[in-house]
Amino acid sequence: MDNNKRKKLNGYHVVFLVQNTMVGLGLLSLPNKLNSMGYSQWWLPLLLGVIANLTLIPMIWLFLRYPTENLYTLNEKLLGKWFGKFVNLFLVLYLIIFISSIVEGYLDLILIVALPDRPITGPLIVFFLVLLYIVHGGIKSIARFSIMSFFLTIWMLIFLYWPIIEGDPRHLLPVSNFTLKEWLQASRNGYFSMVGYDLIMIYFPYIIHQKRAFLHGSIGIWITSIVYFTVTVVSVMYFSPWQMEEVVYPILKLYKAVELSFFERIDVMGISLWVFLLLSTASAYLWVGKKGLDSLRNNNKTYHLYLLAILIFVFINIPFPKDLQDILYDQIFYLKLAIILWPNVLILVHLIRPKKGRTVT
Amino acid sequence: MGFGKVLSKLLKKKAPVPTGKPQATSKSRQSERVSLEAIKNNLTDIADVKYKQIKTINGFVTLIYYESLVDTQVLHQMVVGPILRQQETVIHAAEKVGENDLNQLLDLITTGYTIIHLHQNSTFYALSTFSAENRAIQQTETESTVIGPQDAFTESLNTNLSLIKRRIANPELKNKSYELGSETKTKVAVLYLNNLVNRENLDRLCKKLEEIDYDGFMDISMLKQLIEDHPYSPFPQYNMTVRTDMAVQYLLDGRIVVVMGNSQSVIIAPTSFFELFVSTEDYYNRWMTATLLRSLRFFGFFITIILTPTYISALTYHPELLPFELLMNLQESRDRVPFPPVIEVLFIELVIEILREAGSRMPTKIGQTIGIVGGIVIGTAAVEAGLISNMLTVLVAISALLSFLPSNFLMSNTSRFIRYIFILSAGLFGLYGQMLALAWLFIHLLNLTSLGNPYLTPVIPRKWTDLLDSVVRLPLGLLQYKKGISRAKTKRIRPLDEE
Repeated sequence: MDNNKRKKLNGYHVVFLVQNTMVGLGLLSLPNKLNSMGYSQWWLPLLLGVIANLTLIPMIWLFLRYPTENLYTLNEKLLGKWFGKFVNLFLVLYLIIFISSIVEGYLDLILIVALPDRPITGPLIVFFLVLLYIVHGGIKSIARFSIMSFFLTIWMLIFLYWPIIEGDPRHLLPVSNFTLKEWLQASRNGYFSMVGYDLIMIYFPYIIHQKRAFLHGSIGIWITSIVYFTVTVVSVMYFSPWQMEEVVYPILKLYKAVELSFFERIDVMGISLWVFLLLSTASAYLWVGKKGLDSLRNNNKTYHLYLLAILIFVFINIPFPKDLQDILYDQIFYLKLAIILWPNVLILVHLIRPKKGRTVT
Repeated sequence: MGFGKVLSKLLKKKAPVPTGKPQATSKSRQSERVSLEAIKNNLTDIADVKYKQIKTINGFVTLIYYESLVDTQVLHQMVVGPILRQQETVIHAAEKVGENDLNQLLDLITTGYTIIHLHQNSTFYALSTFSAENRAIQQTETESTVIGPQDAFTESLNTNLSLIKRRIANPELKNKSYELGSETKTKVAVLYLNNLVNRENLDRLCKKLEEIDYDGFMDISMLKQLIEDHPYSPFPQYNMTVRTDMAVQYLLDGRIVVVMGNSQSVIIAPTSFFELFVSTEDYYNRWMTATLLRSLRFFGFFITIILTPTYISALTYHPELLPFELLMNLQESRDRVPFPPVIEVLFIELVIEILREAGSRMPTKIGQTIGIVGGIVIGTAAVEAGLISNMLTVLVAISALLSFLPSNFLMSNTSRFIRYIFILSAGLFGLYGQMLALAWLFIHLLNLTSLGNPYLTPVIPRKWTDLLDSVVRLPLGLLQYKKGISRAKTKRIRPLDEE
């Protein structure tokens, strides 16, 4: 219907795009990532939410001044054509590695929990077929899928009932039992799960109510933060300090606490249902990557999407040594941080540029 | 959808460019001068065309008509009798055919008109005498309900129009007329309430109808497939019904109803996915009963596509999902079955399909017998022979029954098809495959449109008021608003009661 219109995303779309690109694989291991703070970690997601919300301000501020540009075109505009393209190429490479990391992380988990003794190729191909099908519909279709997957997965919070009644609320105290170093470590690892809202810089030109984008983006960030907060609080209540340290995917462990007469091993069902969250995250990133290739090649071709998918597929199948891969996926954090802080650089350039222009004329 | 788009692009390249309205069917029939010879030349080799010559006081008169379309008694009452007594009365009632309108005259003959040719001044008059046999208005057998009006549409366009118009006595009810099918020239009427209908929807539908280039239609479901937004989708994107009250109900909501001659069903456009599960009986029942039945139908659709696949994935990949006792039960019931669960399920599902298909092709009396034979003999015997498990027979029977719950027959057929996708994906990747298939299903439904309106509206609502009449059906007094999908001009049905 409105495929030809440039502005497609209404308020709900923005809220859930922001929210669903943030929640992905990160949530499954969040309490473990924040582990360096021990039992005091439970309030950290709220702080991370505040940080995320603060870093959203420069993004929206910048793009309100360039309402028809996305990050790629703005890079070229503000940094010059060649340097801009170089930065964009870097961005696309980062996206390829990032999508690979989440898809591979998820499929590894599936292969361990639900489909033992199977090669990764089959599940991976099917995953990519569905993923490409979603991205084909464009950003609006991804946004609608995000809304759908939010409501199809959020009810799983009910399962927290069992850990809560088994848990011990006294674990929540004391609140500040950590050192600065531990706090930095936890924030660094935890922020992995918060990124994703930065993609708003790419789909900003498609938003109908751009003036209210900050509000909608913030709502999305806070839905995520509150979900994270709930999960960490329950984890702190439920787990022993040793478990906090050693259990890599605490959410799966929380599922196992559920006792139903007609259904056992909720974790298998939960991890399978998690594919909705993964699909919505990966499809948004893949769409952003496709936009990147479009801007690099200055045209809009569907095969860019397939090219990108093939590159990711190949990247996942390259037999890297496991430790190298871990280092690579871990060091991506600094790139993510750079992207989140990047608008500040652009704002600086933006502020300098018109002055230059004035001296010339 | 992507592949569909590519395919349709390819197809469009191959298909000949449509040349506007398919008017010029045979170029030899250029506008000739009308004469008896010319008519006879054009109607050669048609056995039932009659040229009846009568001698009256004013001279010779020739009547030309199709014997198969005009009843002899009607002809005598309307034409022959009056013409012998007083020629002018007939001539005044009839329409004069222009001197050069041979094509129009031939069309009139083929649609059941009688042509009156006056020899003394060689003029031609046409009088509608179409009187072929019509089926009487009967009950519907495909969409029957317990409560509510029982009359269903018939194959006659005029009867169908009268069935609707006698229910809505309002000059705002318009019907546009079209003639579709380059060979069959089937009459199609587009009905809508002018004060409610959304102009954009109407224009889109009319444009689609005008662009159709197809040689003939046996049923309106063919027309429906040609004007759907996504022809490659397994889902029906317009509602189709033979129930008069359903057509009226949607007209009152600002939808468009398309009626076609020689076709019992009518199309309702636009339609959302959810409305294919709604029956008019929901509005006749008490609201709580209606809510219960509706949710049964709606969730039944998802259960029917998920039930047997879950059996496969639980037994093949995740036996740990089930509680121990249930698992033991399952294993005991299938300890004699030598196949993997996928083969077992595919086998019994195919048997059910065969039974269903055989039952619907057979004469009614034999069909019942076959149903019993199939159900008892094949079911019990297959279990005893160790081909399938007891438990699976129960599951398959439930899911087969559930697939008949949607009020729309095309939707229940779709659920049968979709189930196979789920069965195969569960066989390949267990629960993970099922969830991916579910993701595919949802994204497909989210991308579908019906006349450009999103297909999945009440689930992702366009208007919050849609939710009052969705899976739950609240008391009628609360359903004040038109649906979001119809985008009707008047939002309120009636003002809120002020007591």
